[in-house]
Amino acid sequence: MGPLVNAATIAEPKLVVDGLVKEYTSRRAPAVRALDGIDLSVGDGEIVSIVGASGCGKSTLLRIVAGLDHATTGRVEIEGCPIAGPGPDRGMVSQGYSLFPWRTVRANVAFGLECAKVPSRARAERVDELLGIVGLGGFADRLPGELSGGMRQRVAIARALAPEPDILLLDEPFGALDAQTRRAMQDFLLQVWARTRATILLVTHDIDEAIYLGRRVYVLSSRPGRVAARIDVPFGSNRSWQVTRDPRFLDLRDEIRDLLLANG
Amino acid sequence: MTPEATAVEPHVREPSVAPGPAPVPAARGRREHPLARLRGELPMAARVALAAVGVVSLLACWLLASTLWSSGAFRVPTPLSTLRAGVELWTDGDLGHDLLASSRRVAVGYAISLAIGVVAGIGIGSFASLEAYGEAPIGLVRYVPATALTPLFLLWLGIDEAPKVALVVAGTVFYNVLMIADVARAVPRDMVTSAYTLGAGRWTVLRRVVFPHSWPGIVDVARVNLAGAWLMLVVAELLAANEGLAFQLTRAYRFRRVDTMFAILVVFAVIGVASDLFLRWLRNRTAPWARS
Repeated sequence: MGPLVNAATIAEPKLVVDGLVKEYTSRRAPAVRALDGIDLSVGDGEIVSIVGASGCGKSTLLRIVAGLDHATTGRVEIEGCPIAGPGPDRGMVSQGYSLFPWRTVRANVAFGLECAKVPSRARAERVDELLGIVGLGGFADRLPGELSGGMRQRVAIARALAPEPDILLLDEPFGALDAQTRRAMQDFLLQVWARTRATILLVTHDIDEAIYLGRRVYVLSSRPGRVAARIDVPFGSNRSWQVTRDPRFLDLRDEIRDLLLANG
Repeated sequence: MTPEATAVEPHVREPSVAPGPAPVPAARGRREHPLARLRGELPMAARVALAAVGVVSLLACWLLASTLWSSGAFRVPTPLSTLRAGVELWTDGDLGHDLLASSRRVAVGYAISLAIGVVAGIGIGSFASLEAYGEAPIGLVRYVPATALTPLFLLWLGIDEAPKVALVVAGTVFYNVLMIADVARAVPRDMVTSAYTLGAGRWTVLRRVVFPHSWPGIVDVARVNLAGAWLMLVVAELLAANEGLAFQLTRAYRFRRVDTMFAILVVFAVIGVASDLFLRWLRNRTAPWARS
């Protein structure tokens, strides 16, 4: 696999998933195993991607980490603590349609801070700072309906970052965007990450996106979802689209595609 | 086969061998007039014009009926005599008073009905447990025609305001609950889970996400079911009342004043249109994000 193994990040991971199994039981059919023995870890300040075909259970995995769903067996810990339910320590961004359309961009970003009872002045400062980071300072008083799809996802990311989560969970965040916007948003995410050093777990079906954004890529097989490979990406944190032409990038892409085909 | 099709056919079969000037290629597809296109869109001017024509044709029908049946038992008053009867009703001081009495009953009853509708509807639409618990009993009770409760309410509550208000509530509350439950169910799950992952608790999600998202839908439900509230009011007032619009209707009936009866019907129509326009305005004013 990749030549770089970062021992420091494995020493103190933010998120640990250990032997996670998710089964769906029904009275008529035998239990369906959606996720089977998933092990993974995300270190502080890392972007880790999970790539898999649709229906492999990768979104379920993310929902379990978010606390929106529960594992059948196995251990999921954030900073050593088990997960009982959703909380502001695990921010989540999904494909779309999650912004509050009646709230302005500013009020959307402020939502998590309102829930945390942050006083209004501190709240306003934090919102302005975040809108600056995502480059939407000039759109603070617009409604989501007036923004493009890419801008809306930037608002969603700013909103998820506002309560300063331990980890940001991204579930196909750019899946509903057109190809050009998608590319721009991937670079945008790297910029945001460079400024915030947020810990990010990204779920995607796009192999290029998984490699381009991730320091490490977990390849998930389908039915049941298993970790088919854990791949360290051999590029530094300062990436640009040049790396997508790097032969190592192309090799990785072929490798992951073969894995997905073999385990699809 | 349509005449156009027969005309086009030889042209299509042997276009190159036909002598004379070069043939104009036949246009593909069927051209439809914009007024007759399924799910088509109309320019604003055409819509306004058609709406005006609609109102005028209603008036024309009325005028025609009033000239055809101008006397006898089956008598239709002209729009003008209806207007005169309305003015008479107004200047005698009765109309304003009755309008107020009826409106108050509808307002109180419908406000209660909507309050129950919002609380129960959002509860049923948001919690699967409340849905499972509440839907079956509501479904059963809902099929009892609310008008059938009239004698019961008169017996229980006397003949004052209470049975009238109760009938307005009984006749609309189940529709309000079930329709508002549908509105609450339409809140996207992603929106709810986002709120949860941002640190909101259940109550905050209900208050800050489910309610605001449902608000324009609630106003729409209120608009639709308001007609039912007036229906129940008329039933209540026809049976036992000494003031109110429907009471005036029974009085006019006693004096065989068809023109007065028509005037009251027009008042009902005007109230309906006015409240509809008001609720539409309210919806667009309070939820500009959901403007349709």
